[in-house]
Amino acid sequence: MDAETLTTRYVDAAMRTVPEKQRGDLAEELTASIADQIEARTDAGEPADAAERAVLTELGDPERLAAGYTGRQLHLIGPRYYLDWWRLLKLLLWIVIPCAGAAVALGKVLSGAPVGDVISTVWVTMLTAALHVAFWTTLVFVILERTGHETMDAAPWTPDKLPEPKETGARFSDLITSLVWLLILAGAIVWDQVFGLVYLDDRWMPALAPALWPWVLGVFLLVIAVEAVVGFAVYARGRWTYALAAVHGILDLVTAVLAVTLIAQSRLINPVVMSAITDAVGADGADAPRIIAILVAAGIVIVAAWDAIDAFRKARRSRTLA
Amino acid sequence: MSENEARDTHLQELRRGTVVLACLRLLTEPGYGYGLLEELGRRGFATDANTLYPLLRRLEKQGYLTSEWNTDESRPRKFYRTSRAGDTLAAALTEDFRAIARAIADLPEED
Repeated sequence: MDAETLTTRYVDAAMRTVPEKQRGDLAEELTASIADQIEARTDAGEPADAAERAVLTELGDPERLAAGYTGRQLHLIGPRYYLDWWRLLKLLLWIVIPCAGAAVALGKVLSGAPVGDVISTVWVTMLTAALHVAFWTTLVFVILERTGHETMDAAPWTPDKLPEPKETGARFSDLITSLVWLLILAGAIVWDQVFGLVYLDDRWMPALAPALWPWVLGVFLLVIAVEAVVGFAVYARGRWTYALAAVHGILDLVTAVLAVTLIAQSRLINPVVMSAITDAVGADGADAPRIIAILVAAGIVIVAAWDAIDAFRKARRSRTLA
Repeated sequence: MSENEARDTHLQELRRGTVVLACLRLLTEPGYGYGLLEELGRRGFATDANTLYPLLRRLEKQGYLTSEWNTDESRPRKFYRTSRAGDTLAAALTEDFRAIARAIADLPEED
């Protein structure tokens, strides 16, 4: 009797994942097959319970056997969907995590939260965002796999779908573009101090604080000059090297630190211009200078960070190509 | 993966389709799960029970086998039999297997 329960338990376990409709028929067939196999062993002189044990061990995990019967998939995402899943997941993570982090950081800073609070909130937000993106994307693909739907892109692969060659950033046009921008920037700084870029009270006046002239703005102009030299060096070498990317990164760092420090001390913008803005916004906008300052500082940090990272990426890419 | 494991995997892959062919040809005479398992083993198509039983179900679902319960004996058993579509498939598989065997025979021998 005890020997029978083992087979019964095995068949029950196997039938658990089999649809109701096929269950009776399958259970009977499986029971008969197991009995046949046990019989063959006992006929050869094996004791009954040892024979049953051996037969069931040979058949293996009942749920795996049942999966063979019903054609149930024993993987979360199979080869047909894996690449689509992986590409979409990477893309979404690259978009969602930085956006969520930046948005929360900006909101926290604007509401005047202390630095520790900002960092911990941003960290938690990015982690939560990553978890959500990973979970929901995977869930959608698991359902797609089980319902047998095609993914977004049902067309077969052709060579046209090969990724575009990445830009090296070392072409002549890159040099010209970068030089033109640097010239415009340097020209704007000088023009601003000499002739003024803001028209206020019937006269032109500088947008940047005149107190910064010549020393601090001189540093900015020096950075621009070195940046131009880096641009020439990249063009001459034909690619970004790690050394050039490092110099470029230091320049970005100097610019960002200097600008953000000046903003934090309210020394960057011409005080006359600033008070005019405050007056124009009115009493409701008592926070306006602070909010503008934080937005501008955030913009500077993001642009500088991206610019520095981009140079390193180009350096790494050209190194693997070389 | 050890060298033996890799070797076994290759042999297994080479033999996989031949079990289907053998089942379809043997079941022109009705047969049941365990009886067929024994028969296959005797004829040199050694198969595991947990591979064969689901395979029979699959072939039945695809219409290459038909089945019928036989309750004449003390233990009721489900008997499978090759259908007309199964015969056609068996002929195609056999033809293809012969072509492969000829192609292999024509391969350069190592000596």
